[in-house]
Amino acid sequence: MKNLLGVILILGILLSFSLVTLAAEEITVWAMGAEAQKIGEMVASFEEKYPDIGVTVQAIPWSNAHDKLITAIAGGTGPDVAQLGTTWMAEFAPIGVFAELSRYLEHSTLISREQFFSGSYATNVVDGHLFGIPWYVDTRVLFYRTDLVAEIGYHHPPKNWEQLREIAGQLAQKGEYGLALSTNNYQEFLPFVWQNGGRIFDQNGKIAVTEPAFVEALEFYVQLFKDGVAPLDAQGTDLFQEFAAGRMPMYFSGPWMINLTREQVPEIDGKWSVALMPEKKTRTSFIGGCNLVIFNSSKQKEAAWKFVEFMGEAKNQLTWYKISGSLPTNRHTWEEPYFDDLAMVKVFGRQLEDAKAPLNIPQWAQIEYLLQQRLQEACYGKKSPLEAMEALAQDIEGIM
Amino acid sequence: MKRSLLIPLGFLAPALTLILVFMVLPLVVSFYLSLTNFNVAALLDYSLADFIGLANYQRLLRDELFWQAFWNTGYFVLIGVPSALVLSLLLAILLNQARLFGKNFFKVGYYLPSITTTVAIAVVWRWVLNPRYGILNWLLGIVGIAGPNWFGDPEWAMPAIILLVVWKGLGYNMVIFLAGLQNIPGHLYEAAQLDGAGRVKQLIYITIPLLRPTSFFVSVMTMIGYLQLFAEPYMLTDGGPLNATLSIVLYMYRHGFKFFNLGYASALAYVLFAIIFIVTLLQMKFRDKEIQY
Repeated sequence: MKNLLGVILILGILLSFSLVTLAAEEITVWAMGAEAQKIGEMVASFEEKYPDIGVTVQAIPWSNAHDKLITAIAGGTGPDVAQLGTTWMAEFAPIGVFAELSRYLEHSTLISREQFFSGSYATNVVDGHLFGIPWYVDTRVLFYRTDLVAEIGYHHPPKNWEQLREIAGQLAQKGEYGLALSTNNYQEFLPFVWQNGGRIFDQNGKIAVTEPAFVEALEFYVQLFKDGVAPLDAQGTDLFQEFAAGRMPMYFSGPWMINLTREQVPEIDGKWSVALMPEKKTRTSFIGGCNLVIFNSSKQKEAAWKFVEFMGEAKNQLTWYKISGSLPTNRHTWEEPYFDDLAMVKVFGRQLEDAKAPLNIPQWAQIEYLLQQRLQEACYGKKSPLEAMEALAQDIEGIM
Repeated sequence: MKRSLLIPLGFLAPALTLILVFMVLPLVVSFYLSLTNFNVAALLDYSLADFIGLANYQRLLRDELFWQAFWNTGYFVLIGVPSALVLSLLLAILLNQARLFGKNFFKVGYYLPSITTTVAIAVVWRWVLNPRYGILNWLLGIVGIAGPNWFGDPEWAMPAIILLVVWKGLGYNMVIFLAGLQNIPGHLYEAAQLDGAGRVKQLIYITIPLLRPTSFFVSVMTMIGYLQLFAEPYMLTDGGPLNATLSIVLYMYRHGFKFFNLGYASALAYVLFAIIFIVTLLQMKFRDKEIQY
């Protein structure tokens, strides 16, 4: 009798253990770089909301993230959920490694398509299919020295191309340069093209880099170097020091520069600010950031979706902003009173309404290189803007 | 007979297996890859890679960037290898003097860069060569020379890379030359002195000829190493500005691991292999006879 009781007791204990393990689903999430360290708090509150789903976070350093993904795809050993840079979507999505998510999003009561910035949402769409949910975004705006711009008689940042040229020119005469521009970073150059109504491919998929709108934007860009307003070697300099010394009193960059500038050169606090992109036809900027994708090989897609959905929810996006400083991709988050005190960050929120990502096509990685190469040739004066873009058109033709 | 062959093979088996699996097999596979259009899509489904014969090699010949990388690498090797040889030989001769203050200190000093990782060196040199705050241009400024914008100027970027690579490799070559110098019997110099040969003549008629085996080794190894220039431009310039520092290996890396055109990258690797093979062969062929006194 005693023995029987013991057996039942042991069986009961074993059973309850196995029930626990049966109920709890385990999902693996790949987080990259700094996000991996900071995501813990979000995971904890997720597990609180969904006690039956356990989350294991694996930290992947950015430097080998791309290799890791390739290896995982080749070996079929992917996680359930992964963080993916927006410009990587097009490379991996067409080969069928990510789950299509439009079905999940349609049925979601917590998030909807309209909540996300359209530029950010678009980075998740490849060939008309939705392969990810935006997680956080970044975009570029104009950083400028308010005091120096005021000294030459302007009490506002450059609002359009004309004013940009004018103010930068005058600043260059007073100091050393008017603004820092990159000769080989497409993220700084493409916004000018978009602002002028240019594009890489037209609506019929024809290469459009030799269209007047595109070439004009390049001419404007190159002229800033030719006039000595922008230095050719901005990348070899310590931008913070140059900004503080007034030698490069304007530049275009992302949200991370707000805190970095405060830390690196606190002596110019209050003497600088950020502003929307200067206008031509539009004020479009570049949008980047990260999305969350679900791997097709995942056996717990429902649980994985709950995690992705959770991270996209407006209130969790606010928590995530507070933890990491990554800009929310959910527009409702920006309406929170929390942002009212953050004037500079709010500029980014406004810029995000008019921000675009480059094309979501697998060849993008190569086009990016080709574009940067020809852009540099034009900036250094090796080729005229039109010649450079004709050469680019041929380059792109070659890989399509 | 059979047994006598089996026993040594048995002992060699572990090493042979490793060589076969990790050296020979990848060589064969990458050669096959170079005949296909293997790209990122083929990673998931190998059947998507088609056999395209020599098309990759034909494309290479028409590839403007490949030729740019080819000439850049040639420029780097032609200036870099002789500079490295002459400088390290001079250093070795200096440090071989019997009475020299702080000899070991200098030996360690010159050897240190060879065992420091390129990444750390690149970070430091980026600042040394910085046109605005760099110490080199500051020193040049003191003697009245306006230093160039090293990594920002297409004309000066490659010289800057050469400077860095030669400096980094100096110590290693120097140690090998030192060993070679110490093998030259002292009585030869004594005899030459008695015959009235000065320092320069001793260098030309004794040191250089007797160092031939060492110089041959150093020049072949340096040449092979320099033809595979990668880490320095990768860290410092990413091949720029205007592709002035794009080397063959950097271009191969870009195709292989940035665009995942593994077929094309393999073709590049085989072309580089052919270049190294031919250059080394030429060096062997034109090697001077060894001299014995």
